[in-house]
Amino acid sequence: MMLAWRLARRELRGSLGSFRVFLACLAIGVASIAAVGSITGAITAGLQGNGRALLGGDVELRLTHRFAEPEERAWLEDEAASLSEVITFRGMIGAPSGERALAQVKAVDGVYPLVGAVTLQDGTLDAALAEQGGTFGGVAEKALLDRLGLSIGDDLRLGTKTIALRGVIASEPDRQTGGIDLGPRLMVSTDALEGSGLLQEGSLYRTRYRLTLAEGDTAEAFQERLDEALPDAGWRWRDLSDPSPGTTRVVERIGTFLILVGLAALAVGGVGVSAATRGYLERKTETIGTLKALGASGGLTVAVYLIQIMLLTAIGIAIGLVIGAGVPLLLGPTLSEALPVPADFGVYPGALAEAAAYGAMTALLFALWPLAMARETPAAVLFRDVVEKGRRMPRPTYLIALLALFAALVGAAIFFSGDIRIGGFFIAGLVVALVAFALMAQVVRWIARRLSQNAALVRGRPALRLALANIGGPGSETTGVMLSLGLGLTLLSTIGQIDSNLRGLIAGDIADEAPAFFFLDIPAPQRDDFVAVAEADSAIEKIDTAPMLRGRITGINGEDADPEKISPEARWMLRGDRGLTYSATPPEGTTLTEGEWWPEDYTGEPLMSFIEEEGRQMGLKVGDTITINVLGRDLTARIANFREVEWRRMGINFTMVTNPAALQAAPHSHIATVYAGAGEEGRLTRLFAQDFPSAVAIPVREVIERTRDLIGQLADAVRGASLATILSGLIVLIGVTAAAQRRHLFEAAVLKTLGAERGTLMRAAVLRYLLLGSAAALLAVAIGAAAAWAVTTKVFEAEYVFALPSALLVGGLGVVATLVTCGYFARRMVAVMPARMLRSRE
Amino acid sequence: MTTPAIALENVSLTLDSKAGPVDILHDLSLQIETGETVGIVGPSGSGKSSLLMLMGALERATSGSIKAFGQDYGSLDEDHLARFRRDKMGIVFQSFHLIPTMTALENVSIPLELAGKEGAFAAARAALEQVGLGKRVDHYPSQLSGGEQQRVALARATVSGPAILLADEPTGNLDGATGASIIELLFGLQGDTDATLVLVTHDEALAARCSRVVRMSDGRIESDIREAAA
Ligand SMILES: Nc1ncnc2c1ncn2[C@@H]1O[C@H](COP(=O)(O)OP(=O)(O)OP(=O)(O)O)[C@@H](O)[C@H]1O
Ligand SMILES: [Mg+2]
Repeated sequence: MMLAWRLARRELRGSLGSFRVFLACLAIGVASIAAVGSITGAITAGLQGNGRALLGGDVELRLTHRFAEPEERAWLEDEAASLSEVITFRGMIGAPSGERALAQVKAVDGVYPLVGAVTLQDGTLDAALAEQGGTFGGVAEKALLDRLGLSIGDDLRLGTKTIALRGVIASEPDRQTGGIDLGPRLMVSTDALEGSGLLQEGSLYRTRYRLTLAEGDTAEAFQERLDEALPDAGWRWRDLSDPSPGTTRVVERIGTFLILVGLAALAVGGVGVSAATRGYLERKTETIGTLKALGASGGLTVAVYLIQIMLLTAIGIAIGLVIGAGVPLLLGPTLSEALPVPADFGVYPGALAEAAAYGAMTALLFALWPLAMARETPAAVLFRDVVEKGRRMPRPTYLIALLALFAALVGAAIFFSGDIRIGGFFIAGLVVALVAFALMAQVVRWIARRLSQNAALVRGRPALRLALANIGGPGSETTGVMLSLGLGLTLLSTIGQIDSNLRGLIAGDIADEAPAFFFLDIPAPQRDDFVAVAEADSAIEKIDTAPMLRGRITGINGEDADPEKISPEARWMLRGDRGLTYSATPPEGTTLTEGEWWPEDYTGEPLMSFIEEEGRQMGLKVGDTITINVLGRDLTARIANFREVEWRRMGINFTMVTNPAALQAAPHSHIATVYAGAGEEGRLTRLFAQDFPSAVAIPVREVIERTRDLIGQLADAVRGASLATILSGLIVLIGVTAAAQRRHLFEAAVLKTLGAERGTLMRAAVLRYLLLGSAAALLAVAIGAAAAWAVTTKVFEAEYVFALPSALLVGGLGVVATLVTCGYFARRMVAVMPARMLRSRE
Repeated sequence: MTTPAIALENVSLTLDSKAGPVDILHDLSLQIETGETVGIVGPSGSGKSSLLMLMGALERATSGSIKAFGQDYGSLDEDHLARFRRDKMGIVFQSFHLIPTMTALENVSIPLELAGKEGAFAAARAALEQVGLGKRVDHYPSQLSGGEQQRVALARATVSGPAILLADEPTGNLDGATGASIIELLFGLQGDTDATLVLVTHDEALAARCSRVVRMSDGRIESDIREAAA
């Protein structure tokens, strides 16, 4: 081993320069993964670090549609060190101008916030919210002032009450972000809502009890006591272990996905690693032959070069880690400002270890094949001019090692992504794409060979003839160019096609079919009046209403509902409140797939209709029972049937529908969907505001717009992450081209000797790269289209539309990348005098 | 008097190397008549290959003039020179210099294809048959032995019927018997077309088969002997 080490060092000395591609490829892949991991780590740590502020205390207990009962409240006050009650709901804010807008209203008590402080642009919160001259004050985010054209001092309408706008919120410690915000914040004191007509039982509001724990108490102990004392309250519990579960989940999801995209960069880098290793070993053929002739065993030969590869891998990874950890650290201050969530930038060893592990496995995986082949180099190469080596196979040991490395890589992807399907699918996709491009290279070569022998096609076109012969001939760079560009272009193309289709779907079908408004919180007694007003307005094409309650699934078949026991894609069903409704007849557009609907006048045991897809995912069957906590009371209903709905119709769709008698008695409000042409939103908002001040109007088209923007932003993030793959691909391309350069220079010299003009040679080179770049782009577009087709038609059940702009972009990029690379290298080829080139070969 | 096939007048060649400029040929004059066979001999490093490169317009002289059939190389640009080679010259090298990504047939047909001639493949096939490789047309250079590769190179150099054949130690990389067969082919092809042949070689016996022997040393012509018969 010592001998191998010494030989390795001697060999590597002075050849580091020829490993620039190897190092760059590895470094880029590792850096992109490390950077994504570091940013994710920073956000997660930021959320954790600001946990108490985000949570508003040590623990938050949330109720839906109701306040804590006096005895519940009393218990909390006794057990906690301090307690604050915060109410959140959506409300319509009326401006003096008559304009109305949706806001997220937060009503706070005198002790809010228990942790941190709300800062206003001017003044203090307490003073701003206090009652002055019979009017309570409110503070709002600037967006609300902008939307309604408000200025400080204006009187706002909230329900039936008047609120004086007294300040602009600069920061709110417990403002949770994530997903789509339905309107800016308005903060008032709870006292201000007295007599507003809002917060009636059954309207859609949440109460949050934030508390700090007494010295020596723990969240676990507190939760235990709470469960014992008030088992049926239906609290949603949240503590510092995950103060912002929604955001954490979103960040982790996106982070996981972006890391996988980074893996694509590594895979492309692997192609570069493989090519660089092979090139290096080919240059060392004589050395290897000599080593063998001098009596070195095959094992020793492999050891010598394996050590070199591992050293290089370590260097490449180190460079990648420094960049991947350093860039987020440097950009930290800027990023922190831009991010909607707190982030704590630093060095996250876990993220770096993940990146390093991926880098090491990829490099070894891709270097091992050429290494194993080198082992088979016979000493006889010294005496024979081996231009093209025969098709030998590595020995079984190496094949097994290769398989083991691959399995480890797949295992790591699954382990780090925490999801067999995402990690597994992604790796499978990478492998399929790599194989597809390798096959495509063979097909392109085959076609080029055929065409180059087609006398009619190539006669009088020597440039085309040369280009085709070069693409089709042995040892051509066709495979290298295809693999280098392929993955990056495929990623871009796939993102482009999916993004375009999703956004098209949202802007087209969904927006066309969508209602103009969702109205929430229509008090039950006003429901008929509401419908009458709507039907009297000629702009309104249609109105649907349904009673609406919210409840949380707490039990399945008499046992506690445990998210761990159901399949991951259905866990969200148990995570928060779900809307539910009751109906005597099947809602419009329903198809029963199993079971029966109940008779219209049914009053027996509560029955429920469940959407089949979610039901099956949760492992439910017709006849099972579901327990839902509604307004602090448990309702157990038996599943009478499964039904199917077309989710894209943004009408009223509840996962769970019960028979009327089961829920009618609970206090509740109604929701309505109002269909009207675009442009009517402003007038209709004002129209309903007059008679139904507590009804909340959600402008659907605006939400759709924002969803589309959000998808666009996500696509941009993925595009950004795939830049690493493209960059890596370019470097591999340059490496491949540089490796082929000597051969092309020599060929050019020979061709000049035979009478080729410079223009012919230049045209041949350009054509060669143009054809290769186009072929790679073509396949990338095809794969992207296929992936997008699958997603659009299978997942979203919509019609797939080929996104031409994305295809053109991908095609253009492929062609430009190859042409620029080719142009750079071809200049020398054209300039060189044949004698120089030919002499150096003698 | 007919125009000579190749005429060099006071030609010098200086090449730049890392150690500074190197004078390779000094004030060299030589006239080769049409149909002559000229053997160039001399010790290693004496400038034989360099002289051949100049004749083939693969390199430009530092000073002096080189003409082929009265056409001055100095007045032609690179592309004109390329076309001139394509139409008038066939060049054979010690290391064959076949294009590895092309089959034997493709290698041989290049000069014709570059000239835009019809029936390039058929002519190339015929040329390969003439050098005894009719069965190996679809093989790549790497699949051929050294002797076979050199025969492909010969076919390639002669396929368009050049007026001038330049050969730089065509047997240098081959064993004796193989080399001899190549030489037979070379002289045979030359005889068929009456091309002017310039043959650089180490082999005195081989040089003696030429009608004229030019001996070089140190970048100069040491002697220039025409066979009495010629
Ligand atoms: N590119 C170059 N730069 C500098 N010097 C060169 C270059 N190429 C060749 N030489 C030198 O020019 C001289 C003549 O070289 P040339 O190849 O013409 O000799 P030769 O007679 O063909 O030798 P040999 O019989 O070994 O082939 C040699 O001394 C050689 O070192
Ligand atoms: Mg020589």
